[in-house]
Amino acid sequence: MRWVALGVAAALAFVASVVLGPAAVPLGDLARSDIVWSLRAPRTVLAFLVGGSLGVAGAGLQALVRNPLADPFLLGLSGGAGLGAVVAIATHLSGPWALPLAAFAGALGALALVYRLGLVGCAALDPRILLLGGVAVGAFAAAVTTAIVALADAAELRNAFLWLWGGLSAASWDSVLVLTLYAPLPLAVLFAAARPLDLLALGEEPARYLGADVERVKRRVYLAASLLTAAAVAVSGVIGFVGLVVPHIVRLAWGHRHRALLPAAFIGGGALLVFADTVARTVVAPRELPVGVVTALVGVPIFALLLRRWTVA
Amino acid sequence: MGIFVMRRWLIALFVLAACRPSGRPPVGPSVQDDAGRTVTLAAPARRIVSLLPSFTELVFAMGAGDRLVGRTAWCDYPPAALAVPSVGDGMPPNVEAVAARRPDLVLLYHSGTNLTAGQQLAGLGVPVALLHLDRLEDLGPAARRIGRLTGRVAQAESLAAAMDSLAAAKPLAPNPQSLVFVVWDNPPIVIGHGSYLDRLAALAGARNVFADVAAPSAQVSLETIAARDPDWIAVLSDSSGPPAFAARREWRAVRAVREGRFLNLPGSLFGRPGPRSSQAVAELRARLEAAP
Amino acid sequence: MDGRVSAPILRLSDVRYRYPAASRDAVAGVSLTVRPGEFHAILGPNGSGKTTLVRLALGALVPAAGSVEVLERPAHRWRSRELARVVGVVPQREDNLFPQRVREAVLLGRYAHLSLWGAERPEDHAAVERALTACDAGPLADRWLWTLSGGEYQRVRVARALAQEPRLLVLDEPGVSLDLRHEMELFELVRGLVDHSGLGVVLITHHVNLAARYADAVLVLAEGRSAAAGAPADVLTRETVERVFSWPVAIQVLDGRPQMVPLRQPKEPA
Repeated sequence: MRWVALGVAAALAFVASVVLGPAAVPLGDLARSDIVWSLRAPRTVLAFLVGGSLGVAGAGLQALVRNPLADPFLLGLSGGAGLGAVVAIATHLSGPWALPLAAFAGALGALALVYRLGLVGCAALDPRILLLGGVAVGAFAAAVTTAIVALADAAELRNAFLWLWGGLSAASWDSVLVLTLYAPLPLAVLFAAARPLDLLALGEEPARYLGADVERVKRRVYLAASLLTAAAVAVSGVIGFVGLVVPHIVRLAWGHRHRALLPAAFIGGGALLVFADTVARTVVAPRELPVGVVTALVGVPIFALLLRRWTVA
Repeated sequence: MGIFVMRRWLIALFVLAACRPSGRPPVGPSVQDDAGRTVTLAAPARRIVSLLPSFTELVFAMGAGDRLVGRTAWCDYPPAALAVPSVGDGMPPNVEAVAARRPDLVLLYHSGTNLTAGQQLAGLGVPVALLHLDRLEDLGPAARRIGRLTGRVAQAESLAAAMDSLAAAKPLAPNPQSLVFVVWDNPPIVIGHGSYLDRLAALAGARNVFADVAAPSAQVSLETIAARDPDWIAVLSDSSGPPAFAARREWRAVRAVREGRFLNLPGSLFGRPGPRSSQAVAELRARLEAAP
Repeated sequence: MDGRVSAPILRLSDVRYRYPAASRDAVAGVSLTVRPGEFHAILGPNGSGKTTLVRLALGALVPAAGSVEVLERPAHRWRSRELARVVGVVPQREDNLFPQRVREAVLLGRYAHLSLWGAERPEDHAAVERALTACDAGPLADRWLWTLSGGEYQRVRVARALAQEPRLLVLDEPGVSLDLRHEMELFELVRGLVDHSGLGVVLITHHVNLAARYADAVLVLAEGRSAAAGAPADVLTRETVERVFSWPVAIQVLDGRPQMVPLRQPKEPA
């Protein structure tokens, strides 16, 4: 059944990611290889965690704003993260964690701004205001970022944009540890909101009459999804497409009930990103493609194929 | 005395006759620039604006530095260049600031974006020369042409000869030491074949582990760097300690990082082709040979 | 109906409410008491405050004056989850973003009875079956929602509210867009629930005559105020109806219930 298929796909992606890579490591040496243990293994695990987080965040946000085109990066988080990263580089912040922490802080700043906008007047996290506010805050942050890049030390900052385009090259067991300690709480909040999200699909008033504490659910889902996305951006830049399309792919097989959809989106998103990262590392070896390019190139055909099969059936 | 005097007077008369003032001004130095244009000056340039650090160095090296009236903010060598007024960072060139210096020659690096600036300056009546300067081989022709335009032909010729011989030099017998040039750490960007730094390394006898990458710079996986195990990691840096990324856990999979084998190459000397390129090669070779 | 007076499920006393930036009160000085086994209808022209009254009753809005109590406790003190076990609502409008089968849609009504992480239990599925049967929607159980007719869809929504196992059922204009037969079937269904299951019902409708035929008590709202309240026969007089609905009518009696017949008022050519 479909859970088995999903599990097998994830397992295959894991194995491929550890076995394959631009540095040819013979199968017999895999277990002893420092490259595999210090670089490939943590990178695979991190890709799974990031992809899974983006998949769940995307599914939650699409239910929250009741819009199938919602993507975790529509909320202004990528703009905020980029601004944080650029400020860190322009002010020559030192330390190996300077860039991720600055990006995370920037994303949180954008989150706070959009959240505050969503509370203006009696808006009470109106989905349309969240979306519009996210686009506005993101555009503002991007403009300030561009201004800083134009005025400051140009060469270094151009490289900051390369980071922002997304990649898992900074993966290590340290970043895996940080994400493993951080992600379970927002993930649990999202999984717990699965049933209320089903109710929310009927509308906020009907959901309340069926027993959902609508304001609390909206707040929690918005914050949890945004915190997951902020962490993903801090660790791996902006990897688009996963949060938007994985929920739709998973819905084709699991339907709309979030109790099944959210866990499936986690595993599916994780598997997709692990696979995409493997392709990014190997297809033009010794060079490497930005992983966001691969997620789009890989994800779209899969999506189109599934769409045809299920609409024909 | 009579006929001699007359001959001298006749000769003087001929000479005077030949020196009739013509309708046109005397034609000064003229060169073909790399954009295919012919750059002609009325007289050797006396007010030069240089929009590339390498051009600034060349102008000073051929003894015409006192004629520079404008430079970019990046032009930091020789120290005398710092006294010349800056016209901005040059990316893109600030046409107004350049024109305000009333130059009679502007030296521009030949690129797509600079073509527009060049046209705008030419429209203001300012002579502009667009010159390539990506590789060692470009240094000689650039020096010669600048020499003609400034009237320092002899000095430019000796400079160009030295740079041509460097460009033509065979790579030294390969030093067993290998290196990688890391330009950025996240994502890892390295220098590949054909770029200036790669040539420097070859001339110094070191092997660039990414010489098989055809692009001047490329993003690679960290595991590739670790697998190719370079002896040295070269970074363009004016400071002396290890770069910030050396502290990151994932970079410690690379042996050179673990052992702290970093070559910090000052940007001013190593970052661009120029009259000091041979000095750069010598210094790189010295560092490689000195180290254990 | 037996002689015992049971405790009211819902009691609104003299409630007043004005929406922010509104020029007049949406509801003012309205009272309503609903006991088990009573069918109340709320009537009134557009904008008379009927939906606002429902929102006040369910604690979605807090009255500026007066009190709202559900099972003798103030409405705004009830948490949504607890309230959903007592009151089932069939709202006027809802979105249908995702395709669903009827059984799944009715199962949503069990949310208030489910624990946070627990799965649906046999008693939840049994409640769904009972609700579907009570609404005559058993044969529809495996159909997709989008394939249902308007009347069938309304029955499913009522079944969902019943699956909550409430004591009070609130329906907001359930008959709008239903044809004669389906609207009659709906009112018969609701009346049957009141008679056989002892539910209390509050039903908002435009349809004066159906309210008069089926309801035990009628509340007529006009501009947020209570124009009349009581048994249909007492309340739906010609004067009251003409005043509230601003149109001349004649009243005829059928089965002991008043039925209004609108009179013609042809316009003179200008």
